Amino acid sequence: AQAASSNSRRRKDWTKLIYSSQLTPEEVLAGKEEASVDEEEDDDDGEFFRFKNAPRQDEDEELDSSRTVWKEEDLTKWEDEELLDSIRGLFITGSAPA
Amino acid sequence: MAQTAGLIQFSGHQHFRHRLVLSILSGKPVRIDKIRSDDKNPGLRDFEISLLRLLEKVTNGTVIEISVTGTAILLKPGIIAGGALTHDCPLSRSVGYFLEPVVMLAPFAKKPLQLTVRGITTDEHDLSVDLLRTVTLPHLQLFGISDGLELRIKRRGASPGGGGEVQFLCPVVKQVKTLNFVEPGKIKRIRGISHAVRVNPQFSNRMIEAARSVLNRYIPDIYLYSDVYKGEESGKSPGYALSLLAESTTSALHCSEAVSQPGVAPEDIALQASRALLSEIKAGGCVDRQHQSLILLMMVLGSEDVGRCRMGEPTARTIQFLRDVHSFFGTSFKIVSAEPLDKECVQLLYSCYGIGYINANRTLA
Repeated sequence: AQAASSNSRRRKDWTKLIYSSQLTPEEVLAGKEEASVDEEEDDDDGEFFRFKNAPRQDEDEELDSSRTVWKEEDLTKWEDEELLDSIRGLFITGSAPA
Repeated sequence: MAQTAGLIQFSGHQHFRHRLVLSILSGKPVRIDKIRSDDKNPGLRDFEISLLRLLEKVTNGTVIEISVTGTAILLKPGIIAGGALTHDCPLSRSVGYFLEPVVMLAPFAKKPLQLTVRGITTDEHDLSVDLLRTVTLPHLQLFGISDGLELRIKRRGASPGGGGEVQFLCPVVKQVKTLNFVEPGKIKRIRGISHAVRVNPQFSNRMIEAARSVLNRYIPDIYLYSDVYKGEESGKSPGYALSLLAESTTSALHCSEAVSQPGVAPEDIALQASRALLSEIKAGGCVDRQHQSLILLMMVLGSEDVGRCRMGEPTARTIQFLRDVHSFFGTSFKIVSAEPLDKECVQLLYSCYGIGYINANRTLA
């Protein structure tokens, strides 16, 4: 597991990112840092200011769907034996991770 | 009794269903404007109109105003009525699109809901009826919503023709229980439903075999059920799909699904589903990622106590949902690392103080 760790970056402060940030959800997930915004001003009168109207692409509308959309590479990476073995510990048959 | 609470406003067509659900539950009117106003084809889509009609049926006294151009709506929520209802869904989205919001509302209805919906039962965009039945409903049971909770798949309907029919039965509750689910446990069994309609029934078995080739290495307790529907019950279009779910020792559920695509062999569909399941298992936590919003909503509505749940990182949808929940109910979650000492751990502990939502509709009966 140590080999695959790219998590050396510091942890996200999720509470802050979610409740007192102007970033869109996608930007939060992408790990974009917020330029110091005066949060006080926009916070109270709310939601209306939260959604920046980014130019919309008509063809590729993001669907209102709770289903996870998998990218090709997210699935094909499971061809790798090492990765397959790395999650054994999550099953009752696997030994507990050290 | 209904206080004239402030109007909540949003822009854009995204997160449409969540906002309507939150409006109805909170009793606060919602106005959504700029619905695809810059689009070549502006305004609400047919499935969104249909959803509004469905919500009108499920509730009593809801007022919905749609602007002439269809780019703005105002919804003044009524009470959630429930009862025996039927709804024909358009073929642009599967019945999962319509059932997901209804699942969030139905426990708080005046009368138990018996909703029959017709349309596409499995497609590549929404949760299929199999996942709704085997994963979504058990998630509701965590909150004490269980007796008489059922989804009956009467007919299947693949995309694009549809022709499926399911019946959703949901009991009413006075209040949902506080959730305290922090132990993900270890995966003890894998279940799945493989179905094929209007194609060679052997496809179903081929998917099962391919899925086993991936999953057997982990655990022997795998039971993949081949569900065969014949004649009228198999809908109007050919199609097949495999839905998988993994259950842990603490009853945490993770699920995945893959649906037939033109020119792709059943074996490859099964591999997609199996690998997606492994990805979900790897992401871990006590709750399936596709059900984060449902769980968080029920935690907010729970009795006045601190509810806790361990989950993976929020999805983009979940982040927006949490913000919207804050707008409607004023509740924010505390989100911290599940294991602060373990730098590798990406799972998070979500906790919030329930608002003690009481189903007032029920006591009126």
